[in-house]
Amino acid sequence: MTLLITVAAVSIGVVLGVPLVVGLRAKNFLVRLVSRGLVDLIRGIPAIVWLFIIYFGVSIGAFRFDSTMAAIVGLGLISAAYFAEIYRGGISAVDMGQWEAGNALGVNRWTTFAQIVGPQAFRVSVPSMTSYAISLLKDSSIASTIGVTEIVFFTTQDARSNDGGLTVYILAAAIYLALSVPLALLARRLDASLRKKVSR
Amino acid sequence: MVPESNLPKQMVSLRGVSKSYGDKNVFSNIDLDVAAGEVTAIIGPSGAGKSTLLRCINLLELPDEGQITIGDKTIKAGSTATNKEGEELRRKAGMVFQHFNLFPHMNVLRNVSFAQERVLKRSRKDAEERSRLLLDRVGLADFADAYPARCSGGQQQRIAIARALAMDPEVMLFDEPTSALDPEVGLEVLAVMRELADEGMTMIVVTHETNFARDVSDNLIVMADGKIIEQGDPGQILSDPEHERTKLFLRAVLGR
Amino acid sequence: MSVIADWIEWLPALAGGLWLSVRITAVSLIVGLPIGLLLAVMASSQNRMARTVSVVIVEIGRGAPALVVLQLFYFGLPSVGITLSSFVAAGSALALTTAAFTSEILRAGLQAVPPGEVEACKTLGVSPRDTLRFVVIPQGLRIALPALMGFSILIFQATSLTFTIAVPELLSQAYSIGATTFNYLSVLVLAGLLYAMITIPASWLVVSTEKKMSRHLSYAR
Repeated sequence: MTLLITVAAVSIGVVLGVPLVVGLRAKNFLVRLVSRGLVDLIRGIPAIVWLFIIYFGVSIGAFRFDSTMAAIVGLGLISAAYFAEIYRGGISAVDMGQWEAGNALGVNRWTTFAQIVGPQAFRVSVPSMTSYAISLLKDSSIASTIGVTEIVFFTTQDARSNDGGLTVYILAAAIYLALSVPLALLARRLDASLRKKVSR
Repeated sequence: MVPESNLPKQMVSLRGVSKSYGDKNVFSNIDLDVAAGEVTAIIGPSGAGKSTLLRCINLLELPDEGQITIGDKTIKAGSTATNKEGEELRRKAGMVFQHFNLFPHMNVLRNVSFAQERVLKRSRKDAEERSRLLLDRVGLADFADAYPARCSGGQQQRIAIARALAMDPEVMLFDEPTSALDPEVGLEVLAVMRELADEGMTMIVVTHETNFARDVSDNLIVMADGKIIEQGDPGQILSDPEHERTKLFLRAVLGR
Repeated sequence: MSVIADWIEWLPALAGGLWLSVRITAVSLIVGLPIGLLLAVMASSQNRMARTVSVVIVEIGRGAPALVVLQLFYFGLPSVGITLSSFVAAGSALALTTAAFTSEILRAGLQAVPPGEVEACKTLGVSPRDTLRFVVIPQGLRIALPALMGFSILIFQATSLTFTIAVPELLSQAYSIGATTFNYLSVLVLAGLLYAMITIPASWLVVSTEKKMSRHLSYAR
């Protein structure tokens, strides 16, 4: 379940981050302001508070999120905001000269972005993206607070019923470690191979 | 045969010194002597190993083979020389770096006084007095309260010289002191170095400044490809070198 | 406009919770940062034992989610005889997390100090300890400052997790009010805004500090 939530949330974040970063870089001042406000607000409020708002707070008519959906939506939104920032950093890291070259060749702004700047920005962003994904894996533990049946949820149940609890929590911590460390190594390998592609 | 005890006292001696990085051999079996009060200049093309050799003298780099002597202290490479002994050797030499390496978060006075207080255990008052004296000597008496960032490159380098002198070294090592400076600005620094030489300081200078080498140094060493290819009187070598490599190098340097 | 009226009514309770959140943040930082600095120094030391111990603590502190550490301290420790109050458990758990994360930030800061200066210290005969104390750490701290500030904001946000170990901080207050009035949305949104009120200006401060620092750190060469 932990993995499901993490993967779902990351996917949402990766996708939704794009319109957000476009908004951040828009020519229109108002659009920029709204995007900036949205991103800052989402990142400024703790994840658990967002999850609570979505899970406990949202009741449109008869519709209410179930805990898993709430977790995915909430973490997905938060990821989107973080990814938007990462993308923004990636785009500004791409040398100005690339934009100018595209311009000089007569390519329009949108295509320049899609074919020239975008891919390079993406490559630069990958390390930050993977490290964020790994930290999201740990943050998914927060979903337990709204009843999602993931690792910490079971841990807490177990601890309460067996009224000893140290070993169980250590076990939980160990599981998270066991998940995140190999992922971190994988991420490093991915980064290295991407870097090889770019170096001449 | 001249008996050993009659030879002039060598301030710095290197015997059979070699250094490699991995498979790359930088230099091997170098012998070098610098007498007290003598100024030795080391010139040569980049990558010849000049800086590395200089840095081996005060053990910033550890030589793989050979022995280094400064004054009465000798360290053999690869021996069980303790860190303490290495530090004692290092203390006899003062070093001036190409990029100055001043401490940006301390003002000029503190830069020069800091090591005096912590290492030589001088009182703050004594250390600052000595620092001001030295700053005056290098022509920067008014800069005591300024921060390095506000000083030009030439001024920073002169401060670095004062900082090294504050420790009362027996020999001063200069690693391309003017290479990071504009030629005009470099002259200030060279002037200070010249004065230092006139006062009798033993100096070993790795440099590209052939004029300095000719006018100030007593002994010139030309290094190329990890070997000393020529050494001797500066005036002689610079006007009429023996080795082909030296000729090539000088043509490029002087013929600009 | 009963929403505003409600909000005004709830504000005192929430403000009390907010203040507690701030206090927990302060405790975590005050305890955690020095430990983080110690771990950072150990991580770059020549001594292999020091390095290993530091790496292990840091990896565990960073690998385990804050929530798990919090619950471990509060629910788990009693089973080995150590019972902590929720405030103490919260403070120490977050201090551990702080130490682990800031050690990496500080380590990067310490390494960013130009190595040439360390060499200069060597040639001047300055002891390694003095070099650390007077040259490397002062500059390293300055370099790491923006990142440390950014991290402090994250720890402040993390105090919301202490809700699960019965700390009556901001979120907890909001939740109780929600539970009694059944109007979760309104009070939770208010709580969220209160968090944002602190975190958003704080991150502007971080950005401006970063700009000021980069002006200072580029010196004439």
